[in-house]
This record gives sequence, C-alpha cells and structure tokens, in this order.
Amino acid sequence: MSDPITLALVAMSLPLVACVLATVLALRKGPAAKFAHVPLVLACGTAAVLGIVVLTKVAAADSQNHRFISDPMTWFAAGHLKVSFQIVVDPISAVMLAMVTFISTWIALFASGYMHGEKGYARFFAVMSLFVFSMCGLILANNFLLLVAFWEGVGVCSYLLVGYYFEKPSAAAAARKAFLVTRLGDVGFILGIFLLWKMGGWNTSLTALFDYLTKTPPDHYELTAACLLLFCGAVGKSAQFPLYVWLPDAMEGPTPVSALIHAATMVTAGVYLLARCAPLFAMCPEAQITVAWVGGITAILAAFIGLAQHDLKRVLAYSTVSQLGYMFMALGTGGAISPVFAVTAAMFHLFTHAFFKALLFLSAGSVMHAMGGVIDMRRFGGLRKLLPVTHLTFLCGAASLAALPLFSGFWSKDMVLESLEFAAEGEKYTGGYFVLLLVGLVTAFMTAFYTFRAYLLTFWGPERIPEEAGHHAHESPARMTVPLMVLAVGAVAVGIAIEPFNHKFSHFLNDAPTLQQAFAASKAPEPPPHKFNWTLAGVGTAASLFGLSLALVMYRNGTEKLPALVEPVFAASRNKLYVDEIYGAAFVKPGGVLAFLSAAFDGFLDAVARLISAVPRVLGWWVRPVQNGLVQFYALSMALGLTVLLSFVAFRIAR
Amino acid sequence: MDKIYEIVAAPRTGRTLVLLVVLFPFLAALFVSLFGKRGRRVALLLALVHLGLAVSVAAIASMHLGTRDELSAGRGTDHAKFEPAMVPGARVGDDGRTAWTLMSLTATPPSAGRAGPFVQFFVGVDGLNLWLVALTSFMVVPAILVSWESVTERRGAFYAWLFVLQGAAVGAFLSFDVILFYVFFELTLVPAFFLIGRWGPGSARRDAARKFFLYTLAGSLLTLVGVVGVVVTNPDPTTGQITFSLPDLMANVQHWLNAAQAEAAAGKPEKLAALHQTQLWLFVALMAGFMVKTPIFPFHTWLPSAYGEAPIGVTVLLSAVLAKLGTFGILRFVLTLTPDAAVAYGLPVVGTLAAFGIVYAALCAYAQKDMKQMAAYSSVSHLGFVVLAVFAFNTEGVAGSVLHMVNHGLSTGAVFALLAFLADRYRTTSMTQYGGLMGRFPNFAVLAFVLCLASVGLPGLNNFVSEMLMLGGLFRADAPKNHHYALAGIAAFSIFLSSWYIMTMLQRVFFSPPKEPPADAPGAAPPGDVNSRELIAFGSLAALCLVLGVYPQPVLDTMRADVRIVTRIGDDARVRVYGEPKPTKVLVAAEPNNGKQDR
Repeated sequence: MSDPITLALVAMSLPLVACVLATVLALRKGPAAKFAHVPLVLACGTAAVLGIVVLTKVAAADSQNHRFISDPMTWFAAGHLKVSFQIVVDPISAVMLAMVTFISTWIALFASGYMHGEKGYARFFAVMSLFVFSMCGLILANNFLLLVAFWEGVGVCSYLLVGYYFEKPSAAAAARKAFLVTRLGDVGFILGIFLLWKMGGWNTSLTALFDYLTKTPPDHYELTAACLLLFCGAVGKSAQFPLYVWLPDAMEGPTPVSALIHAATMVTAGVYLLARCAPLFAMCPEAQITVAWVGGITAILAAFIGLAQHDLKRVLAYSTVSQLGYMFMALGTGGAISPVFAVTAAMFHLFTHAFFKALLFLSAGSVMHAMGGVIDMRRFGGLRKLLPVTHLTFLCGAASLAALPLFSGFWSKDMVLESLEFAAEGEKYTGGYFVLLLVGLVTAFMTAFYTFRAYLLTFWGPERIPEEAGHHAHESPARMTVPLMVLAVGAVAVGIAIEPFNHKFSHFLNDAPTLQQAFAASKAPEPPPHKFNWTLAGVGTAASLFGLSLALVMYRNGTEKLPALVEPVFAASRNKLYVDEIYGAAFVKPGGVLAFLSAAFDGFLDAVARLISAVPRVLGWWVRPVQNGLVQFYALSMALGLTVLLSFVAFRIAR
Repeated sequence: MDKIYEIVAAPRTGRTLVLLVVLFPFLAALFVSLFGKRGRRVALLLALVHLGLAVSVAAIASMHLGTRDELSAGRGTDHAKFEPAMVPGARVGDDGRTAWTLMSLTATPPSAGRAGPFVQFFVGVDGLNLWLVALTSFMVVPAILVSWESVTERRGAFYAWLFVLQGAAVGAFLSFDVILFYVFFELTLVPAFFLIGRWGPGSARRDAARKFFLYTLAGSLLTLVGVVGVVVTNPDPTTGQITFSLPDLMANVQHWLNAAQAEAAAGKPEKLAALHQTQLWLFVALMAGFMVKTPIFPFHTWLPSAYGEAPIGVTVLLSAVLAKLGTFGILRFVLTLTPDAAVAYGLPVVGTLAAFGIVYAALCAYAQKDMKQMAAYSSVSHLGFVVLAVFAFNTEGVAGSVLHMVNHGLSTGAVFALLAFLADRYRTTSMTQYGGLMGRFPNFAVLAFVLCLASVGLPGLNNFVSEMLMLGGLFRADAPKNHHYALAGIAAFSIFLSSWYIMTMLQRVFFSPPKEPPADAPGAAPPGDVNSRELIAFGSLAALCLVLGVYPQPVLDTMRADVRIVTRIGDDARVRVYGEPKPTKVLVAAEPNNGKQDR
C-alpha cells in the first residue's frame, strides 16, 4: 500500500473521484452545487500530501533503483501495436506530480472564492477536477499513446474552461482557437510517436523505447525527424513560436484557470515531454539546436509583445510564453552539454516558474475580483492601499519573475543562462548557443521591464477605480489571500531553499535513470563540478536591474506617458507584431476560401454525375420512341457489361 | 472458454440464434406493418427483442471466437479461408458449411462437404462481422427513438421498411455466399429508396431517393459482374467446378495464384502476369459498387442529398450501417478475392483517391451551413480513413478498420441523432439559426459535447483507439517508395481537420450569444431540454462510446484470428507482387511480440 506506484495511482485517481462528485452536483442543480469545490480541494490536498510522500520515497530509494514502473494493463492491442496503461514514478515525474498537486490545491481554494456566485460554479469545478486528473495522468504515463490520451484530455479541459463564459463571443472564439492550434501540433506529435514505434522495435512504452533506441541506434535522420515531430506537439501545447498565438487569447477563461492551466501546469507539458524524452533528443544535435532556437525566438518575441500590453493578464500570458521559451532554450543545450544539466536547468525553471507565475495570475485575479472584472491597466491604478495583501504578494511574484537576486526566479534563470554558456563553449553550434545566450540576457532585461511596468501601473500613482468595481473594491476574502501568501512564500524562498547551496534539486534529478541514459547516449563531456558563475550572474542581474530601473523611471507616476521616440516600438508591441493578422491572411482566410471552393466544386461534380445519368435518358429517347424509364437501361447495360467482361476474361485466360 | 461454449451454448442454439438474427427483422416488418398509429411502440419493442438476440449471439460467439488461435490461420495449407461459426443448416461435425441450398446450377444434388455450383443460404458469424451485426441491431433503437415524434404519416409502413433495411444489412454482413451477399446488398436499396422518397421532410426527397438508388445500383451491378467473374475464373482445382461459397472461393483464388507463382519461380512468369491482369479487371469491377457505397471521392455526390433529404432516423441508419457495407465489402470480398490487385493498386490508386477525399470532404464539411450536410461530408471524410487502413492490408490496419467501422457507426449515427433534437423542436438544422445552446439546453449540451468529441477522436472515447490502430497499420504498410508515409500523414492530418469543422460548429451553435429560431407555433411553450426518450437515445450512445474508448480489447480479441486470415492472404500477395520481403532488423526484433503475452 505504501509503495510509490500505489501512492501515485491514488493521488491520480482522487481528482477523478472529485470530478464525478462535482458532475453529480452540477447535474442536480440543487443548493448543494455551491459546495462543488469541496471535493476538488480535498482531493488535491490529499494528492499533494501523497505526492510529497512519493517524492521522499523516491529520494530514499537505494541508489540503483530510482524508478518504479507499474505492471502494464492492456488498453488496446492488435498486431504489433500494443498500448498499455502503465505508469512510471521516477525523480522527474515525482517532482512534477508533487508540484502540480500542491499548486492545484491552492488554486482550487482560491477559485472557490473567486468563482463564488458564478452561474456554472459546479460545472467549473467538475472540469477543473477532470483537468487535474488528466494532468496527473500525463505526468505519470509510461506509454506514448496513453500520454497522448491525457495530453488531449488536458487540452479538452482547457477548451471547456477557456470557453467557460461561453456566451461571450471572444471567449467562444478563444476556446476554439486554443483547441485547434494545439491540435495542429498534436498531428506532428502523433506522427512522431508512430515513427518511433516503427524504429523502436514496435514499442510504445517510453522506457522500453528509450532502452531499445539507445542500445540499437536507428538511422540518424529518421530519429531526428521523429524528435522534431515530437517537438511539434510540445510547440503546440507549450505555446512556442509559431503556435503560441492561442495562449494570450486563452486569458478569456476565468483567472484561476489561467493560473493553473495556462501558467503553472498544462503549458509546461511540452517542456516535461522533452525532459522525459531526453535520451532521444540527446542523440540528435540538429533537433536540439532547433529546439533551442525555437525557444530563443519565442522568448524574445513574446517578451517584446509583452512590453506594451494594456491588459494585465495578457502581459502575464506573454510573459509565460517567453519563460517557456527559456525552458526550451535550456532543454536545447542537452547533448552539447550534459543532458542531465540541461534538463535540470529547464525543470528547475519550470518548478520555480510554476510558483511565481501562479502567484502573479492569482494576484491579478484578486485585482480583477476587486475591480469588478476590469483588467485593463489604463482604467485602474494606485491600488496598493486598497489591496495591501495582493500588492505585496504581486510584488513578490514580480521580483521573482524579474529575477531579482535571491528570489526563486533568479536562481533558475541563472541556471538556464549557465547551460547556454556551457553550450557556447562546447563543440557544435557554439556560435548559435552564444547568440542564444545574448537572447536570454536581452529577454531578462525586457522581462524585468514589463513586469515592473505592470506592477507600477497597477499599484502606484493616484488611486483610480473603475465604476464596474462597485462595492467589490476591497481586499479579497481569506480563502483567496491565504493561497496568495502561501505561493508568495514559494516565489520568494523555494529557489534558494532547494538549489543554490545544497543542490538538492539537481542531485535528486541527477538520479533519474532516463537522464543517466541520456547522458550515456549523448557525446557530451562530463560536466565540470558545479560552482557559482559570478560573471554570468552579475551580467544577468545587471540586465534585470537595468530593466527594473527603466520601468521605475518611465512609470514612477503610475501612468503611461511615452516619449515620441519609443511610441512606434510600443505600437508594434501593442499590436502583437500583427502576427494574428498575418496568420489570418496566410492560413485562416485561405482555408475558408478553399473550403468554399471545394463545396462549389462538389456542386460541379454532382452536375457531372447528373449529366452522365442523363445520357441513358437521352439514349432511351433516341433508341425508342416510348420512354420507359431508366431501370431497363441498367438491366441492359448489366447484361452487356457482363458479356463484354466475361468474353474479355475468357479471352485472357484462354490465351 | 471453448468448453463453456460447448456446454452453455450447444452449437444448435447458436445456429438458431444466428438464423433468427437474420430473419427476425423481416418478420418484425410484416408484424409492425399491421399497426397504424401505435406502430412506434411495437417497433421499439421488436427492435429491443432483436437487440437481445444480437447480444446473445455476440456473447456466445465471443466466447468461442476469442479462443481461436490466430497463428493457425490456414497453417499447413497453401491458403487461408474464413471459418464462419454458428452456421445455420450445418451438419454435425462440419460446423463451417451449410447444407441449405437455395438454387443449384447442376443436376447432381449437392453432397455434404463438397463445393459445387449451388447458391446456398450460407450465413455465419466470425470476428469481422459479429460487431457490425451488433451495431446494426443496436442503431435501430436510437433510429426509432429519434423518429418518435417526427414521423406521423403511415407509421406502420415506415417502421416496417426500417426493419427490412435492418434485416438486409444484417444479412449482408453475415453472408458467406457471394450471391446471397449480393442479394442482401442490393436489397438494402429498396427500403432506403422508399424511406427517403416517401418520408423525407424536404421537397427534393424524390430526386434524392432516385439519385441514391440509381447511383448505387449502377455501381453494384458492376460489382456483380466482378463477383461472377471471380467465380467463373476460379473453379475448384480438383473437380473443376465453380463455387459461390466465399471460403471455397478464397481457397481456389489462392490456389491458382500460388500455382502461377510456382511456375513463375520456375522461370515461366507468363501465367502469373496473365492472372494479375485478370485480377486488375476483377478488382476494378468489384470495387465499383463498394466505392459508390462507401463512398470514395469522386463517387460520393449521391450522399449529401440522400443524407440531407432522408428523415433523420433513416439518416442515422444510412450513415451508421449502410456506409459500412461498402468498407466491409472491400474487406470481405475485394481483399480476399483479388488480393494481388489489392496489394498492387489498393493503396497507390484507391488509397490516393481516399486520401484526397479525406481532405476534400473535410473542406466541404467546413463550408456547409447546414449541420446535416456537415455531418454527411464528415462521414465521407472519416470513411476515407477506413479505406486507407483496409488497404494497408496488415493486422493493425484491418483490425483498426473493423473496429473503426463500429466506432464510426456509433459516433456518426449519434451526431445525426443529435440533430433530431433540434429538428424536432425548431424544424431546422441550419447553423446560422442557433447560438448559445449550452445555456439554453445544458443537459443536451453535455451529451452533444461527448458525442461530438467522440467523433473528433478524443482519447477515452471510442474513435481514438481505432484511429490509432489504423494509423499504425498505415505506418507498417509495405509499399514501395514510402508512399504510405504520405498517406499516414494525410490520415493524421484528418484528425485535425475533423476537429476544425466540428469545433467551429460547436462554437457557433453551443457557445456564442444565445440565439434560437422562432418556435413552431406562436404562443407555444418554449421547447425544453432532453426528455427521457432522448436521454435514452443519446445517453446509451454516449455510454457505448465511452466503454469502447476505455475498454476496446474484448472486441479486438474476438476478431484477432479472423484478421489474421485476411492478413495472411495479404502477406502472400505481397510476396507475389513485390517478391520476398527483405528481412530487416526491426522485423526480427518484433518476433517475440507476436504471442499472447502482455495481457
């Protein structure tokens, strides 16, 4: 009962039970519906405790065996395609499981206050429970197709939650966009899985595939193609360039959803997938540099778009996209440097990011709650007195996101930059990694700037409150502020507590068998003994502080007055570099036109068929003065056809 | 298990049940036509009785079929042939052959165990048709339930024709005599013709019915030519007599091909080349009817008008069951009777058409304003995927396609059934008329989302499993020049395309600001959410989609041995067409996976 597998299975199934209970409440529509959050909060809380127990058990396992795999249960199998329900608990999945359930607990608690009195309260918690279940399944799955199943499961929950305010056209459109854009990436993901299946001895189990492929290396180009196809899925899910466009729109969902799904958990699934598949990616330097470049382009592009957004949640959304880009940059160095270090850097940033970004979103939600649903920063300001707790927690999150020294985000961002620096000193693509290091530094500067721009616009300057706020304009109740405070502690301290001095996090991940396998498969040198890189940290801090001070200078009054010089730059940023418009003109419109043309052509095809069917009518009219209809003609044609064909066949055989 | 099968179901019971499953719908049709207004209750009862019969057949047969050894398919002989079980009219000790002759072409009376030129009432169950029969039996229930209110005119006759349609489809699925199959196959046209032409709600119904009838008849007459061609060119090697029994015919076809192959190996390839030439023409003729019936682009133009003009209950059956006759026919007859041509031209030619059709029909579906038309085109698009997988001609592809025929029947039938909800209340299925129904009909919205997501292949629901198997089949297909990778890419892309139009429909109809067409009668009470009748219809469909999505393995297990029979024919045909396969590292490594371990 106490082995990690059982614990993980229980932790995973608790949210499913919560989902069933909340669904029952949603369908019965009684007064009990207002307790729909209870199952989820309890399930997540218990799961989080179990998750932490699993973590300690994995850490305590003897050094040879840090991986626990459950017995497979066949889901479906035919021929060589065998798909089983099987979970794996190793350091990577244990960290993710504990983190996801822990954060979900607090977000669920926050949501119970935030969503109070909404029409579809029970529906909200039913879908959210299903989401947490799917996310846990995604983390634990040890079979690629099972992973896809949960991967799509979180996608559909995201769809339903983004479209929560379904009567709002923008929410309806955003939900569809989120589902379709991620699904486009999933096409590549599925093809990649089948390519691996074909190359990898007809395995679909992750661990079996890695064992097979690292022992019998397949054709290099095929493997690279498979890795890039897998990466397509990650690009869609983790909102990377060019498929990032859905994430900012997904902010149409309720804010706890943005915090949970679109910042802390689901969007990191792509990073997690690549971390899992490190043994494959470590063998393909070409795929890795692509991953790093996509991450770099996304990081700087999204940070730039985030500079001038008026919508507080959108600033945070673009910041999420940009930070995910950081993680992919780190992942992309695996192979050039030891994949163990690359994955650790990415996972560490994922871990701290989950805390501070969830915190920032929830604080923004608290602001939004007080402002009566208004989130446009031009319409409110100077809220630091009105919302003292929210103000302080937001500040903690902002400092962490801007990577100010000693905050959690500082340590993890430093590790990402360090991995890029190592890679730039490596053997292959050194120039590329060096450029990416610069990209990382520029992004750090922009991150600090936009974060503090948002902070100052919201909390400083003269107090302004929109009229929608009404009687809501006060600090949120305890069940919303307590989660904020808990997460704020995480945003401040979790980084320093687990990595820079005791290296607990990296030692723990270091034991993951897949990472060791990846290291063995790569041609990377043994990493040098870890020591703090003062130069790099100094340059990184300087970039952050520069951004921070620029924001302070420009927004010290809590209002936006732009010098004429930067106005065009901000206009480009505000209009999101017109990427949505370009996509609309390049893909969406032509798709619609093509569909219309196809439908028109179908009318033409039908006309051709009718014309052909008119031939017998004309013939009949021509052959016989009395027109008897068509059935006879077909009987005749049958007989004729039979004769002709049989004589033909007989002729061929007789020859 | 086989012991239990022997004890619980004495073979006689099984045979009687199979016979009843075929004949009961025709009796039910006669009976229900006696009733007028109350016909719908009687019809529902009869449909449920038939469902009970089909379920007992499935229960008994799956006990037996699941224990068949997949590796024994035709081992020790030069051919593989279908082994139908529970054959009515079989003699003791000769389970796979019937003695009921309908028509004899020779003066000498047929003797047991000997092939000859007799048309026989040869029906039986195997892993390929079992679940399709169960589907046909099941889908009549929602079809009746959604017609409950909308069909008011001559109810008895309507349900009678519905049962004839069901009986003909069941007969076609169960037939193992090529002529008997053809009779049932054509028989489906008659009830469909009357159902569309007489009970269709629109003004263009007669035209649609005529187009449907003539188009499919024209195709299937060519199929008859093909069937007769196969029969005539493949006599029994020892007696020289022709046969209409499908298993015997399969054996003969493989015998002649193997004989020619042996000659070719000895340096005289002329005979094999001639046989391949014949196969090509027979393949074309056989495919004609199935291509129209399925339908495959560009022979699909009868479908939008037929599905659109038919009353919704009939559309449910047409899309769920009749369309499967096309793909099932390809699997049962084309692959087995012209295997070499199916290998040489199946994926390259028909597969290319099907792949084009997938994309083309998806685009057409997106452009439709009417949800019924959208669902009709979506059916064309999905079935293109099945055709691709059938022609992959390997275990994953064939098993996946059989499973997908069942799954697609459930989910497409369900999507049409859902439209009845709207059509009953507002007399229109035009997308532009609706909006925000999620707030208006929350319970309906839940069911609609589940069923629509099933049809876009969401994991956990049924279509995902079969789509993955079919994709696996396409990845494993051995075609020269890696053509199958392109087809697999298009097939995978179709998963995106289907969500493209379905999600757009959901956004317009269920999300967005509320909008509904004016109610039928002014001053009437606003239409309510799903009533208990609709709840049973949609709920049972949704539940089945969920069950088959989570636990599909029992279905796959029953068909394993029969899929192996088909793929063994495919493997042999590939050797004849492409030569001996090169032994690759991957194939060797895969060997240990073959057995029954891992379960």
